[in-house]
Amino acid sequence: MLLLNACRTELPQIGDQTKTRGVTDDLGRTVRVPERIERAISLAPSLTEMIFAIGAGDRLVGVTTYCDFPPEAQAIQKVSDTQTPNIENIVALNPEVVLVTTASQLEAFMKTLEEQGIAVYVTNPTNLDGVFRNLVQLGDLFDQTERAEDLALSLSRRVSYVTHQKNYQRPPAAVQRERPRVFFQISNEPLFTIGKDSFLTEIVESAGGVLVTKNVATAYPKLSKETALALNPGVIILSDSEDNREPNDVFRNSPAVKNGRVIRVNPDLISRPGPRLIDALEQIARELQQNESPSE
Amino acid sequence: MLRKTLDRRIKIAVFLLAALAAVVLLALAVGSERLSFFDLSEQHRAILFDIRLPRVLLGACVGASLSVAGAALQALLRNPLAEPYLLGVSNGAALGTMLAFVFFESYGFARPMFAFAGAGIATFAVYQMAKSRAGMNVERLVLSGVIVTTFLSSIIVLLTSLLDAAKLRSFTFWLLGDLSQATIDGFYFTLAAAVAGTIILSFQAKALNLMMIGERDAFDFGVEVGRVRIIVFAAASVLVGTTVAASGSVGYVGLIVPHLVRLAIGSDNRLVVPFSAVSGAIFVVLADTVARTAIAPRELPVGAITALIGAPLFIYLLKRS
Repeated sequence: MLLLNACRTELPQIGDQTKTRGVTDDLGRTVRVPERIERAISLAPSLTEMIFAIGAGDRLVGVTTYCDFPPEAQAIQKVSDTQTPNIENIVALNPEVVLVTTASQLEAFMKTLEEQGIAVYVTNPTNLDGVFRNLVQLGDLFDQTERAEDLALSLSRRVSYVTHQKNYQRPPAAVQRERPRVFFQISNEPLFTIGKDSFLTEIVESAGGVLVTKNVATAYPKLSKETALALNPGVIILSDSEDNREPNDVFRNSPAVKNGRVIRVNPDLISRPGPRLIDALEQIARELQQNESPSE
Repeated sequence: MLRKTLDRRIKIAVFLLAALAAVVLLALAVGSERLSFFDLSEQHRAILFDIRLPRVLLGACVGASLSVAGAALQALLRNPLAEPYLLGVSNGAALGTMLAFVFFESYGFARPMFAFAGAGIATFAVYQMAKSRAGMNVERLVLSGVIVTTFLSSIIVLLTSLLDAAKLRSFTFWLLGDLSQATIDGFYFTLAAAVAGTIILSFQAKALNLMMIGERDAFDFGVEVGRVRIIVFAAASVLVGTTVAASGSVGYVGLIVPHLVRLAIGSDNRLVVPFSAVSGAIFVVLADTVARTAIAPRELPVGAITALIGAPLFIYLLKRS
């Protein structure tokens, strides 16, 4: 917190009634924003969810078409889908800051916005700590510090509850041996999974599983089917979207499919590094545990 | 003299078939998983026969089909740049497959049928646009092909923009050419089309030889120019349609392979067509082996590899000739 406060330097501007301050975003850039932000635009559903969660949703004047949670977000004007934001709509809304996340790959668009004199704040969450950090940063940005810190704290308590529950139940050696080997299927055809750079890797491991693709490079690799077959997972997690309802055919003889150990997770929860990621963590932990029961 | 060229051609044919066999065996031997062939476990058997074998065989069929279609179109249009892609055939097939995917979720027969229909409609549209009262000239045909190609591309881009994110992801991959969805059933279908197409086009080879001199000359020699043209277009549509449905758009194969074959054995289509089939199979199986193993256990799209090899090679050939 001390560090975050240190980033906040008061700089009164001559000839301008609105005071501005400098805040540092995840890319280490100093972004100049008004003392109190009243008009913000979010270009990512995860950011929209976080801003609502810290109680600043009423200060969003523009969001993306994918921003459907919480339901109130749907009433806010849409300025883009995350791939192609509409610069005219954004400028017309006269925002004091536009929030983007590196996950949306909007680096080129960022420049365009800055050329228009619009402050762009970039978040770069790569793991659960990043999500908590972003919550606190957003709290600072929107003057909701206390609420954001409380939320971050309660979320991190839920995470440690899940991880500790795992460790307390049986001796550490047994934990190592019994942890189920998990394959995370993002799409069926072509077969995409998660690799070492995905924040979901941490989710699976925290939930008590061993991710079989945790050493594969990149975040969302397209995996060789022969390797997938050879990995022979004990549990398969499906991102439950229309084209990904069932495990890929190569898994038909895997213990996961034979024992019906398939977990389906709402894709919105796991594709957005926001507060609901913890819901996904709890669901995966719960279902991994249920599956472990000897009656299965 | 005649005997000497005949000997040489037989030698090349034998060499090509041996090379194809060697390349197929090599492709079966390597992959992201190391298999112990002398003592195959049940799992390794599944990898070899359910995953690797269908993919290698499908790759061979895709390469053969695209190369034969390219060779025939180049002869028909007397243009070495003629290629399924240039004429809009591939994009027609791609759009057809896409529509099948959107409206008929199944992977069954909807995809190849729609792809063939798309290829056929695109070819017909190009043909109609190119035809004028004065007959059809090659420039007009190629230009029509370019227009239809870009028009279809824009529809494909429009569709991918409208589709939701999950579908978009699989399509962008598929548009680059991807053999990872090979199944043994899909292979039979593509094999049937490849064999039928190669035979049909080989039978047109003599007529195509005459048409390469000029359509009027061919007509004077008794070639039914219009009929040959329709047969070639239809066969190319079937060949391209089935491959695109099975593997997306694998580029440059139909352009580069017939070129290399003509460099080696001359431009007699009776040889160029079947030799292109075998060479195309070798090329795509090799390219896909690279795609499967270069960054294993991850995979590259095979279309990126064929383009990576094909484009520079093509520029080199163009500069040299």
